[in-house]
Amino acid sequence: MSGHGGWWGRRRNRQLALIVCFLLPSLIVFFLYRLLPLGWNVILSFQAWSPLKPAVWIGLEHYAEMWTYDDTFWIALKNTLIFIAASPLAIAAALGVALLVNSDLKGATVYRTIVFLSYPLMAVAVGIIWRWMYDERGGIINFALRSSGLIAKPIGFLQDFSWALPSVIVAEVWQMIGFYMIILLTGLQSIPQNLYEAARIDGAPAVARFFRITLPMLRPSLFLCVVVGILNSFSSFDLVYIMTNGGPGHATELLITHIYKSAFEQTKFDYAAALTVVQFALLLLLTVAANKGAGGNAGAVERD
Amino acid sequence: MATVSLRQVRKSYDAQEVVHGVDLEVADQEFVVLVGPSGCGKSTLLRMIAGLEDISGGEIAIGERVVNEIDPKDRDVAMVFQDYALYPHLTVFQNIAFSLQYRGVGKAEIARRVAEAAAILDIESLLERKPRQLSGGQRQRVAMGRAIVREPKVFLFDEPLSNLDAKLRVQMRTEIKKLRERVRTTAIYVTHDQVEAMTLADRIVLMHNGRVEQIGTPEDVYDEPATLFVAGFVGASAMNLVAGRIETGAQGCGVNLGGESRLALPPGRYDAHVGMSVTVGLRPEHLHWAGDSAASMLAGAARVVEPLGSDTLVIFDVAGHELQARLPPRVVRRGGDPVRVAIAPESIHIFDPATERRL
Repeated sequence: MSGHGGWWGRRRNRQLALIVCFLLPSLIVFFLYRLLPLGWNVILSFQAWSPLKPAVWIGLEHYAEMWTYDDTFWIALKNTLIFIAASPLAIAAALGVALLVNSDLKGATVYRTIVFLSYPLMAVAVGIIWRWMYDERGGIINFALRSSGLIAKPIGFLQDFSWALPSVIVAEVWQMIGFYMIILLTGLQSIPQNLYEAARIDGAPAVARFFRITLPMLRPSLFLCVVVGILNSFSSFDLVYIMTNGGPGHATELLITHIYKSAFEQTKFDYAAALTVVQFALLLLLTVAANKGAGGNAGAVERD
Repeated sequence: MATVSLRQVRKSYDAQEVVHGVDLEVADQEFVVLVGPSGCGKSTLLRMIAGLEDISGGEIAIGERVVNEIDPKDRDVAMVFQDYALYPHLTVFQNIAFSLQYRGVGKAEIARRVAEAAAILDIESLLERKPRQLSGGQRQRVAMGRAIVREPKVFLFDEPLSNLDAKLRVQMRTEIKKLRERVRTTAIYVTHDQVEAMTLADRIVLMHNGRVEQIGTPEDVYDEPATLFVAGFVGASAMNLVAGRIETGAQGCGVNLGGESRLALPPGRYDAHVGMSVTVGLRPEHLHWAGDSAASMLAGAARVVEPLGSDTLVIFDVAGHELQARLPPRVVRRGGDPVRVAIAPESIHIFDPATERRL
């Protein structure tokens, strides 16, 4: 090192080196397990490759196939988007629950815990429980509907083409609602109480207090829920796999289950890689859009 | 504009009563300050007037109208909160205009009134900013703008200056005083700071443990504190409170603080209490340096001397009591120096230690 004016001599550079040292371990893990596979995945999507044959560069052929021939891809894409579209409904419901358990309601803490309990459950367990509940013969939902005289014949919720997707979505929403509720509850509790008092004196009625104070102040929390909801819709593989495995037909096929089946059931790893790239691009696009919608600070708490 | 009447107002949370029957008549355009230590019930009382707390007993009337069951928005009061309670996602203009939008005021009229309020408070240049872009003092002005734009019957202030630093607090205190000259509206102001109370109030209501200790002008509560609590609370430096006994002698009626320390009392006034053990109140600023010959004086030795520039605070011992006196500079220089102070008989406050009330 060349003494005073050298690279190492500068305080700023030494600090930089220190920072890099601290970041390095997690960067290495991030590189090995995220960036590297992702990069390889992108390359793979432009190749014809199977475990026993050498890779051949084929350009956009997989994408062309997806676009023109793969009907399952389009169904899976549509279903994934429906899955995503359902999360605002779940968030709205969670907001309702959060408002209730945030009020003076007796036993609010008990309800809060009960509602949240669904979230830490394993998705596999949730899938199995709901499969039982939806069961055509022994399921409690059919039993309840028939006992109350709402339906004459049992419904095969997970076997019926039009019922299967909504039924899986209900199970998904059921699990996520506790999570959304906790996020929104935290947001609600960070709103200073005296804003509501000031608004009451100012003469704003309850509805106006909700729309002019609660909602705007809750915006970062709401968008955090939206982002998590989008991520979750893309990755709720386990629930669908356990409940319907994409069936009947492809009625509950999501991009993620389609990717899994292409790769591990049909051993078309190269094609699955192309599907993954599409899914990744879509995911990136939607999360960036959602974060933009939150003013770039999803999850932040707005303060005065 | 209106009067505010409190008649036997009570507040309890579950079984615990925190405000015990407060009576108060606030005249039209009067500026009344509720003052007391924290937990004395002053903020609760203010919130009951605002309608943010239920009234457990008694009656509150604004003007002629009893408002016990009336919603806050229909009481025609405006409130300034301790932490301003500005809507963080709205601009200053929107914050000030907020209440007008719910009172059927037209757009043009809103713009006119907001501009007027902004001019009074000197915040015209801030109207498009969000609260987080403002300093503490500016936020305080916006909070006041939000109140005055309403032109309410009554202003309620809940410790509006306590989040500001000392210098700004003094400045804003003056601003409030000036504002008061321009906008003459009945106002009720809560603070724990007796200086704020003294400087702002037409009348002070001193509260302690949910009860009113004394109601009076700043001069009243300073000159004639009704109770030991008021005596200790009001005044820039705390009043000396010591035990003594009233006795009569050759020079007339006096109070003995023990040993040779005896102070003359106004003739005739305490004749009925001769022989009684009392608590004697002496304000540090009323004790003055006595010559050698004074008959009625306290002699002792200085323990601590704190020069403050304009005067010097001397802490000294007399007959086993520790007293404070504000003396001219350089009269007493250091600990151990002799101290000889006297006081005008009419400046001595005598309290009954049993009832804690003034005699």
